[in-house]
Amino acid sequence: MAPNPHPAQSAPATASGLVEDRRRAALEVYESQELPTWRRSGFWTTSLRGLDLDALEPKRYEAGLPELDLGDDAHSALIVQRGANVVHTDLNDDQIVVMPLEQAVEEHADLVEAHIGKRLPHDEGKFAAGTAAFWTGGVFIHVPNNVQVEKPIQVVWVIDEPGTAQWAHTLVVVGENAEVRIREFFLGGDFDGQALHAGAFELYAGTGAQVDLAHYQDWGRGDVYDLSTRRVEVGRDARVKWVPIHLGGKLTKQTLDIITAEPGSDMRHTGMYFTEREEHLDLFTTDKHEAAHTTGDTVWKGALTGDSRASYEGLIHIIPGASEVDTYLQTHSMLLSPKAKSDAIPSLIVEVDNVKASHGGTIGELDPEQIFYMMTRGISRAEAVRVLVEGYFEEVVQRLDDPGLEELVRRRISEKLARAEDQVREFIGERAETS
Amino acid sequence: MTLEVQNLHVRTEEREILHGVDLVVRKGETHALMGPNGSGKSTLANTLMGNPNYEVTEGRILLNGEDLTEADPDERARAGLFMAFQYPATIPGVSIANFLRMAVNARREEPIKVKEFGAMLGENMDLLKISRDFTSRYLNEGFSGGEKKRAEILQLAMLQPEFAVLDETDSGLDIDALRIVAEGVNAMRGDERGFLIITHYTRILEYVKPDFVHILLDGRIEREGGSELADELEDKGYEFVREEVGARGA
Repeated sequence: MAPNPHPAQSAPATASGLVEDRRRAALEVYESQELPTWRRSGFWTTSLRGLDLDALEPKRYEAGLPELDLGDDAHSALIVQRGANVVHTDLNDDQIVVMPLEQAVEEHADLVEAHIGKRLPHDEGKFAAGTAAFWTGGVFIHVPNNVQVEKPIQVVWVIDEPGTAQWAHTLVVVGENAEVRIREFFLGGDFDGQALHAGAFELYAGTGAQVDLAHYQDWGRGDVYDLSTRRVEVGRDARVKWVPIHLGGKLTKQTLDIITAEPGSDMRHTGMYFTEREEHLDLFTTDKHEAAHTTGDTVWKGALTGDSRASYEGLIHIIPGASEVDTYLQTHSMLLSPKAKSDAIPSLIVEVDNVKASHGGTIGELDPEQIFYMMTRGISRAEAVRVLVEGYFEEVVQRLDDPGLEELVRRRISEKLARAEDQVREFIGERAETS
Repeated sequence: MTLEVQNLHVRTEEREILHGVDLVVRKGETHALMGPNGSGKSTLANTLMGNPNYEVTEGRILLNGEDLTEADPDERARAGLFMAFQYPATIPGVSIANFLRMAVNARREEPIKVKEFGAMLGENMDLLKISRDFTSRYLNEGFSGGEKKRAEILQLAMLQPEFAVLDETDSGLDIDALRIVAEGVNAMRGDERGFLIITHYTRILEYVKPDFVHILLDGRIEREGGSELADELEDKGYEFVREEVGARGA
């Protein structure tokens, strides 16, 4: 066998036998599996052919806070991992625990062992196994029972050099009746060359907890491959609002699942993506209901420019016994370039009677009538397009309920549109002439 | 200062709809363009604004002598032309207030001051009896027919164009809404502005008295006169014009 470029032995020896056993078992799975290719419906393929995995390595950095734009400086805690290690931790609230997962394995072994991998099996594919085997640094958040955290907890993953392999794991445990806002950022630089972020995120919301969760991914112009699984478990009468924002990455293949696991649990899952250039995005989300009287609401919106590809598949899964569920899922995708390709697939597995579940999906383009209307008010075509696309995303952006972060997202959307102005104008012009 | 249409021929992909229309609207004048369904009224309105679905094959559109026939809709708007739509588009995610600010600023060098904009908006909303929370709603999203028309007239009032085309603004309005809209239009009439009111019915003309009436039939203006022509139409219907045209042709 080829020498392993991501040696598990670079991870520290830990006090947790369970975590070490998990690493060893995962390593076997990782080494026994080929690089995966994901095919669906015969015409959509996500392939890692272009990724030179052997050329990547975990890079370690000196402690220090890199320059970051998080939209909002206020936080109850900020933890930043650059490459393979945590380079900055700032904790302003002594009621909560926010620290590298490596450290939590030592200092909060019981909590970590009770939760790590509970919803993230280490053998769920090559990269899930990879993260379980190779994660370094990592993030652990614990909000104890009845604690309310006012300012958000910010978690940042940075890749700013080519050749980086970042094996990531974030574990969040939110206690009973606790309230917290968590923002996890994935930020890259505009470097030349490849990098990998293979991430695992798991969040457990205890009975009656209220969690406001956002993911913000903007890997920049470097060729970052993001292969991640994020899973959220919502406990009894708990509520999780989850807003993933995807603003860039060379290739993104992610599974995002939210599980309403006990009666009364409720989830609001509202996401967006905006792909450009040659980017490739492949998202699979599941709204899984494991208990009766659970509720859900999933809305995803996307837009594409350039030669980009984006596929969103959203599943509602209601298992036997989970009656009286009320949930729906909607996905929309907007093409802004003749060469972009999109797929929006809502689907439903319902294994029980007496539930309300509905879904819908659309792929569309800008409506020339809307553009004409705005132009008759003196607004230029480029401005009209910007306003329409921003308006389209506004439903998602406002769900962030965080003015600083909202402004950051709006700014990024507007920058992407400005970059694509010529092709969008051409696209609309062509269609106006043929309509 | 005029809006002038010369020998305008317009077609869609399928067929020619306007077969040579001539029309001159001077500032200070209010014209009514009347015609039955399918006569080409909305085609004329949309062509005046530069809707890309309509192609001008012959003739010209001049605003104060400047040829706008090939101009983009936003250039026409900035030159002083406005249309209140029969079926305005919905703009999700954009509040009326934000939309109006954008439109007002599109024709100014310097952005309007927040206070000035607020005062202007408040004044015009009072004029049109629009409640204050209306402007935070997304433009036309979930609006009733009457609300859409009122939002159109609010834009007219805010943008103060030199020439305004009202495309069937009266249709679908109940009598109270019609009266409010008509009052709004009347308040804006004056030497500085010309109106072209496009309508199927004479009802709105009871509130907004036109100086001139033109009757459009099958893509041609077949009769022209003063406001008495609208009364004649009210009595006799469009058939009498059609019969006259037939008699002329015979």
